[in-house]
Amino acid sequence: MAAAATTTDILTPLMERIAAGEREALRQLYQATSAKLFGVCLRILSDREESEDVLQDVYVTIWRRADRFDGARASVMTWVSTIARNRAIDRLRARGPMAYAEQVDDLEIADGQDSAETLLSAADDRNRLHGCMSELDDRTQSVIRTAFFEGVTYEALAKRMDAPLGTVKSWIRRGLAKLKGCLQS
Amino acid sequence: MSEAPDLSEDEALAAEHALGVLNARERAEAETRMAREPTFAADVEAWRARLAPMLESVEAVPAPAGLWPRIERLLPANESRAPANDNGAIMNRLRFWRNSAVGGFALAAASLAGVLVQVNQPPVVVERQIPVQPQGQLLSASVVSQEGSRVQPLFTASYDPDRKALIVTSLLPEGSDRDKVHELWLIAGQDNPKSLGLVESGKAKVIALPTEVMAKMAEGAALAVSVEPPGGSKNPDGPSGPVIGVGKLSKL
Repeated sequence: MAAAATTTDILTPLMERIAAGEREALRQLYQATSAKLFGVCLRILSDREESEDVLQDVYVTIWRRADRFDGARASVMTWVSTIARNRAIDRLRARGPMAYAEQVDDLEIADGQDSAETLLSAADDRNRLHGCMSELDDRTQSVIRTAFFEGVTYEALAKRMDAPLGTVKSWIRRGLAKLKGCLQS
Repeated sequence: MSEAPDLSEDEALAAEHALGVLNARERAEAETRMAREPTFAADVEAWRARLAPMLESVEAVPAPAGLWPRIERLLPANESRAPANDNGAIMNRLRFWRNSAVGGFALAAASLAGVLVQVNQPPVVVERQIPVQPQGQLLSASVVSQEGSRVQPLFTASYDPDRKALIVTSLLPEGSDRDKVHELWLIAGQDNPKSLGLVESGKAKVIALPTEVMAKMAEGAALAVSVEPPGGSKNPDGPSGPVIGVGKLSKL
């Protein structure tokens, strides 16, 4: 967790300056985080042009909402990544119900980079979420990851997996409860 | 892995919202609940933070050159941050105090020790440290809440140097917020917020000020009010609950 804490230390004062309306601070945050957030948008949207639009929107959102950033709840990186993910998912949902018919595997970034899954397994062992995710059964892991990266609703997941809604719901709820238990232990 | 206990219905909903599996109607309901229920909002945030490390595994891809200037052109000028009204800036500072206080228990404990020592010092010691200012002037402040352009006065305060007191009147309906209290803070310079005490809804109160605090009652210093659990903020260095209003001291 040491690395995360260091990053927080660097970025947290920027948030205060952004909240006070300082453009230069936003530019510095952009320099520090835009590649990561662009990667997040691409991972979710698999489309450069749409990702650029969303990224633009993400930084305008950060500018407007910087005063709501609460360092006690999340690191700056987590906060801005979550905004990027949520915005990208909004855009994905706006594409219409067809988007939900696609398979997760078709949405990988096709530019020769390692897939997120490969990176997941290679990720540093400080990240406890990865360890806890891997303790879930494969189906639960996959369904949670799909939901997370695509914002797919229970209804759409049930259709995709050809399973009853209640069943999918209980897989996810049980999976989330286990994750929480594991992260706390 | 051993069986984990089920999540409560509320927490499950918070987790589902953070994960993104709710449909449009449920999402809207969850957003509404977040706006109204701080506990629920905190649950959602906690789940977002739990799940966010999945994003850390995503490969960074340099954003196209040219994108920053486009963003910069889109940034709205934010009137609420204009110098004419810097309540927003004060709110931000308070929020940061609050955050750092919540974040660092050790730090808070250390500051607590410091403050207790300070408070227990007899006034004469304090006076030696901070030269007594010449008797100040009458000052007043209107502590307001602000949402967009909507400004609502919540408290009025006037400082009377002759009485060595601050007279505070709550404009909120008497008996509102029964399980919470309102705590008044002085924000002067770069110092930590200084608690001036609790104010009951709908009541006026005369708060006697120690010399050390009187020295800081000057034009430009600000008062802020936070909502706290009974007994006031547990954090001696600033609010632990949401700040609902701020106002600057100015000459009468």
